[in-house]
Amino acid sequence: MRALWRVLKLLLGASPKAMARGAALAVTVLLMGVALLGLSGWFITATGLAGLAGIGIAFNVFQPSAGVRLLALGRTAARYGERLLTHDATLRALAALRVDLLRRQARAGGRALARLRSEATLTRILADVDALDGLVLRLALPVFAALLTHAVVFAMLGWLAGWPVALTVAAIYLPLAALVLALLARAGMAPSREGESEAQALRRGMIDMIRDREALILGGQLAARETALRAGDARARAASGALDRAERRAGARLSALVALSVAGALVAGGWLAQTGGLDPARAAIGIFVALALAETVLPLRRGFAELGRMVDAASRVDPGASALGDDREGQETDRAEAPILSVDRPEARFTLQRGEALALEGPSGVGKTTLLLRIAGLMAGEGIAVAGHGPEDWTEDALRARVAMLPQRSALIAGTIRDNLALAAPEATDETFWQALEVVVLDTVVRDRGGLDARLGESGTGLSGGQSRRLALARCVLRAPDLLLLDEPTEGLDPATAARVLGNLRAALPDSAILATLHRGGDHVIFTERLTISRP
Amino acid sequence: MQDVALPDGAGLEPETAQAVPEATPPGDRRAARAAMQARIIAPVKPLLRRAGLLSILSGLLWPVQAAAIAWAVSGWAGGALALERSLWAAGIFLLCGLIRAGLDRVAGGLLYRAADETIAREREGLIGREARRPGGAGSAAVAALAVQKLPLLHPWITRYHVAMLRTSVIPLVYLAVAFWFSWAIGVVLLVAGPLIPVFMALVGMAAEDASRRQMDEIGDMNTMLMDRLSALLDIRLLGARARAAEDFETRADRLREKTMAVLRIAFLSSTVLELFAAIGVAMVAVFVGFTLLGEVGWGSWGNGLTLYEGIFLLLIAPEFFQPLRDLAAAWHDRASGVSVVEELEAMDAAPRVALLGEGTQAAPLAGPLSVSVRGGVASLPGRALPLPDLDLSAGQSLALVGPSGVGKSTALSALAGLVPLVEGRIEVCGQELNAGTADGWRARLAVVPQRVHFPDLPLGDWLSGGRAVDEGTMTEALELAEARAVVDRLPEGLQTRLGESGGGVSGGEARRLMIARAVLQGADLVLADEPTADLDALTADRVTRALRRLQGQGAALIVATHDPALAGAMDAQIVMTGEAEA
Repeated sequence: MRALWRVLKLLLGASPKAMARGAALAVTVLLMGVALLGLSGWFITATGLAGLAGIGIAFNVFQPSAGVRLLALGRTAARYGERLLTHDATLRALAALRVDLLRRQARAGGRALARLRSEATLTRILADVDALDGLVLRLALPVFAALLTHAVVFAMLGWLAGWPVALTVAAIYLPLAALVLALLARAGMAPSREGESEAQALRRGMIDMIRDREALILGGQLAARETALRAGDARARAASGALDRAERRAGARLSALVALSVAGALVAGGWLAQTGGLDPARAAIGIFVALALAETVLPLRRGFAELGRMVDAASRVDPGASALGDDREGQETDRAEAPILSVDRPEARFTLQRGEALALEGPSGVGKTTLLLRIAGLMAGEGIAVAGHGPEDWTEDALRARVAMLPQRSALIAGTIRDNLALAAPEATDETFWQALEVVVLDTVVRDRGGLDARLGESGTGLSGGQSRRLALARCVLRAPDLLLLDEPTEGLDPATAARVLGNLRAALPDSAILATLHRGGDHVIFTERLTISRP
Repeated sequence: MQDVALPDGAGLEPETAQAVPEATPPGDRRAARAAMQARIIAPVKPLLRRAGLLSILSGLLWPVQAAAIAWAVSGWAGGALALERSLWAAGIFLLCGLIRAGLDRVAGGLLYRAADETIAREREGLIGREARRPGGAGSAAVAALAVQKLPLLHPWITRYHVAMLRTSVIPLVYLAVAFWFSWAIGVVLLVAGPLIPVFMALVGMAAEDASRRQMDEIGDMNTMLMDRLSALLDIRLLGARARAAEDFETRADRLREKTMAVLRIAFLSSTVLELFAAIGVAMVAVFVGFTLLGEVGWGSWGNGLTLYEGIFLLLIAPEFFQPLRDLAAAWHDRASGVSVVEELEAMDAAPRVALLGEGTQAAPLAGPLSVSVRGGVASLPGRALPLPDLDLSAGQSLALVGPSGVGKSTALSALAGLVPLVEGRIEVCGQELNAGTADGWRARLAVVPQRVHFPDLPLGDWLSGGRAVDEGTMTEALELAEARAVVDRLPEGLQTRLGESGGGVSGGEARRLMIARAVLQGADLVLADEPTADLDALTADRVTRALRRLQGQGAALIVATHDPALAGAMDAQIVMTGEAEA
């Protein structure tokens, strides 16, 4: 619930002026709607009475009829303005929230990034944020407008049609509507939560099934997975069915409540007309107002039915967590005379100057990848200095400008080859891109596929394992870093190609220090030194 | 434009030919509409009709309620017995109100059922097809369609047809009532009413295009985000974090713009409709007022109006417009529903890579193990790759070697029946590998793929492939693949859920886990794609030994590899050269 408040504040605070104007207009719409029906009812009853009394000519018809027209047009205009303002402000705030979630995700540490399950994060950024759009539009704003409208209407009705009428209308509307909506929120909480979480599970399950299809087919598990997804779909729909029943029940109760309130106003008005000597035209106002007030409560049920879904979504996207400062303060310049890299840790001790290349060796699982991640500032670790400062002391931008790293399982993005390369060097020319592709011996392949504009599928599918690896390596080349960290750069390459790539790499980046983990090929001429890493 | 009395929507279908930017012939478009109608609406038509009748019944009770109010208030003017009359009127009003609430609730239930059945059916179709025969759409886009967009059919189904039915009855009844009392008011309603559907049709066309653009944008954003999230580590290491966030911001903002475009049209049209309705009601109120005062003598069949009639007409007027406005609002629901259906149809029409067989558990193919390939050419989207001729029988091992990109992985896929052939044939266990034999064939296979993708399952379940495996067998398999230490080192052991590309274990460890999995499957042919690719010499040697041990237990092996040591450990080698890259 606390998270829901924080999200609400965030959504309202994103463009407070638009929200405030929208809220003012929302109240205006409701009040004008009530006034329109009330005035019309009064006008007709009053004219009818005047006609009966034969004083038609003396009756001032122009002000009330002008009022009716003004209210009719004003309400329409106000509603248009209100909808545009509040929807635009909410959608802006939601878009900003999505981007914020992505940024937060990208700040996570190296291990967290490697273990990231993108389906889960995707659902958070998309579905959870979608679930929150009703928070302002269908819950906060309509409740606020309804309460304010009832308060104003109560005062006006008391003054015009007498307090018994005003009290009858308010006493039926407010407590009963609150009760119906509270019951709805309670009955809807569980199915609304469950419906959303089942739908999200279904989304993740479908993504997983499609991505994992080969393994599922080979294991003969595809049909079983489909059956599991169908069962999940059935659960999601059962929950939404339960929610729909709760919502319809509440809808019927609210309609009954409106009918009750009109009947109450009718009786109160009749009583006043008979005993209090109140002008029947004024007594009639209560009936019409009670009818018009239906507009304040009927639309509320949607928002209350979604409450469970919103609470859950809010707790997952909780903006409280993003209050951490954006990027850290830190060093931006090299320390003079310092080597580009020095490592002084139990498992390895070495320094690396610009132009040198070191091959790190050691059995699987000994911690080679971990050491590279530490140097790249993605994991905390003592005893490492990049150009004289600890990796974590640099600003993110300054560190990335100096250090490029090819991770163990590099990933490409969907889009063209150029899109993939431009990720590393947004400003670079095609000529530069081709040079980088030549370095990794991929230029012929790319030319055969139709050049830089050749499209790759999801996660860069369309290239073989070794080709993908080399494209990822080309991106590192484009960064022209002072220090290049390569985690298994030759994985998936045949020995001849691997050797050519390493040679080209050295030639293309003569001044860079290169640190590579290699299972094979550590004896290549470009390596000035080989180091076997020991278990820490 | 026709009036609203047509029994089904035919008269309200917009003439879309001019307004649609693509030059779609109107005939095609109408045929597409008819197909959509048949696909989505026809199966639930009876439910919709019943709900519509209940809803009409509820609408017809309103004049009774209006009459009750009018009767009571007109009685107050006399003063005497005002309270008694009011009590009677209140009772009638309340009773009718309760009945209406009940009718609407039941109708709502029927409509929900109709929508639910439709969504269930369409989702079922997607679940049963997209992994079986992928059509090139991204997994995130398919999931978005199934989970996020299909529910957009809901409002179309639940609102549009009922609104249409109501519109065909209720306004006519009210109109007749209005004419009965005053022809002038009848004329006002008659003029203002049909303007609503006319305007609605005009806006509806714009709304449809805007909805389509919004749908596309939702899919694109899903796909883009999924992709960037999978590559987040690379993005961070390339210093492209800010840029990726900016790209996404542009996308998110574009979705907001597209959504606002849809909303703006919806708001504008509902505003204009409300305006017509408001002006209509205001004119009725003013006209009734003047008639009651005696200032207007025409328009009501010569005898003026009574107070009772005046109030009754005032209460009837807004409800005359309501079904028309509901229909106009539902028109937008229909527009977004239609764009969802279009996407479904486009996905139906996409070219698909067929899978041989069904992907179900099947009894293993009978007979001694044998594989032979003759003149095979594998069919990939837009390309064809020749396969080497080969023969293999039980317990033998074979290495496919050759430069990167020559098609070693594709050859393995074809042998597993994942990629169809355009030419030649593959024979397995003495039978042709085809739809009938593929599942049984795969039941005898295990594959160690090149690209690791760990599904969102506990490691133990993934290793056992869902079968019940006792601890001893599990340990034995892990030991054979030399992966026991890997599992022991994970904090949650076999309960660990690994990242989707194997984050949490090193590359060599992931590979050994996959070999353990192949062992647990008890296959008599193992296809391994680069099983030693990222292992150090020592571990690679262990894996090679593990594979040899598998062979020692009677399994046949086919490996695709660059590793000379591994290739040398196999009984035979085939060098692939066809269509080599530079």
